[in-house]
Amino acid sequence: MSIGQHTSPLLPPPRVRLATRRTLGSGAVVIALAVVFVLAWQACEMSGSALVAGWHGMVDFFQQAMPPDLSWSGVVKPALQASKITLYIAFLGTVLSIPWALLLAVLGARTTTPNVVVYQLTRSLLSLLRAIPEVVFALVFVTAVGLGPFPGVLALLFHNVGVMGKLWSEAIETVDEGPVQALRVAGARRSQVVAHAIVPTVSPQFVGLLLYRFDVNVRASLVLGLVGAGGIGFLINQSIQLFQFDQMLTQILIVLALVIVVDNISAILRKRVA
Amino acid sequence: MSTVTEPRAASPQAPVASAAEDALDVRGLSKSFGQRLVLDGIDLRVRRGEVVAILGANGSGKSTALRCVVGLVEPDAGSVRLAGHELTTLSGADLVSARREAAMIFQHIHLVRRLSAFDNVCCGALGHVRASRSLIRTFLPSHVRDQAMSCLQRVGLEDRAGERASRLSGGQQQRVAIARALCQRPSVILADEPVSALDPAAADRVMALLRDLAHEDGLAVTAVLHQPDLARRYADRIVGVREGRISFEEPTERVDPQAVARLYTFDGDA
Repeated sequence: MSIGQHTSPLLPPPRVRLATRRTLGSGAVVIALAVVFVLAWQACEMSGSALVAGWHGMVDFFQQAMPPDLSWSGVVKPALQASKITLYIAFLGTVLSIPWALLLAVLGARTTTPNVVVYQLTRSLLSLLRAIPEVVFALVFVTAVGLGPFPGVLALLFHNVGVMGKLWSEAIETVDEGPVQALRVAGARRSQVVAHAIVPTVSPQFVGLLLYRFDVNVRASLVLGLVGAGGIGFLINQSIQLFQFDQMLTQILIVLALVIVVDNISAILRKRVA
Repeated sequence: MSTVTEPRAASPQAPVASAAEDALDVRGLSKSFGQRLVLDGIDLRVRRGEVVAILGANGSGKSTALRCVVGLVEPDAGSVRLAGHELTTLSGADLVSARREAAMIFQHIHLVRRLSAFDNVCCGALGHVRASRSLIRTFLPSHVRDQAMSCLQRVGLEDRAGERASRLSGGQQQRVAIARALCQRPSVILADEPVSALDPAAADRVMALLRDLAHEDGLAVTAVLHQPDLARRYADRIVGVREGRISFEEPTERVDPQAVARLYTFDGDA
């Protein structure tokens, strides 16, 4: 007997309706987005003609920057030394945030939090730390401890706790509940469940996110230099203020190399732990 | 200085359950989820050294009964007596230490997949170890590690101790989960559909192991099963549950096949 030769009457397949509420809804969303696009274009004073008319300004700027000042003792060597400080700032800021981020991630994940009050408080604290940019933290700490790399480390530390705590708590929430439940039933305490079920399960994700954050923090510590928190960003800021754009170009090229190297190394490491 | 508290010494009243006493004695257990009455006055007694199989259709409440014993579900009414301790009168640390007498085996096994078989088995002993000695795996007390090895040996997997749990077959994983349960040093094992996810050969091996743990090691084993045939081959007694009530309770050889079949019919279908 072939399919289709039924003895019982066949029910009709479900009918396809063309103008459903759903298609109407997505049409409305597309129209709304188009309206917002036009409004935003006007509000931001977008103008192709201004860009063409001002072309010479950019050319002049690059002419002043070219060729880059490659004198070793005057520019390249200090820039390399400052890059080392930038890496150190990013490294310390990332590493020192690990214990705090872990604590807040455990308290702020629905599956491991002791109660709703702690959960909500932790989530609020993480949001606050994320909402304040590194630069603002850096300004605050510069007023407290003066110029230099130290306020930069503190700034990265505080902001990174907010971001990594949030990312890690989301990783914890995706962990299968089963083994956690099994250990609880066996009489394990919360700290033991975290150490023996959750951390081993999420460790590849944790390390991946940590490397990603290090990558981001290297770039962030460049910006921190602009507000006086040490590193190569500080030198770039100095060059701009002294109109030494040829030195600035050298420093930016070194930053470019630094970012590419860090990005590649962290990509390789992330692939290995996955 | 011992970092392990002997379960009985730590128990509040420390009455050592005699061999004659039921290791698990559940009476009048009731539970409803919203409007739905899942358990309607269940009685269940399991002695040391016997395997009791609980049969019943999906949603008949058999798993909920086990979950009430280990505290995953809070019963509305009834009493649970475990190795001589009335759980409903206990709270806090006393309740936690009294509950260690019951270890649970799950249908979905629930091993920590990235840990080795050995590390998973060690997890069973966590309730006996102070938190400060147990947060880093390599610093677990040596007697816990020795005990974990002997539990793995009991389930016949000592040669796979260093293997990641995720690399073991389903049947091997469930045996590691049983070793983890043994490492808890329980007197009662509650198995919630322990072989539903396994092929027939692996299911037989796991059921035989559970039977041996009862007959040879004197544990009280209670297994919720979906296969009446397995219950008939491995259980000493069979309890049939239908719509939250015990519909029969007989030694295996006296169980009426018709009574088993009736467990799986519904009033609406008949």
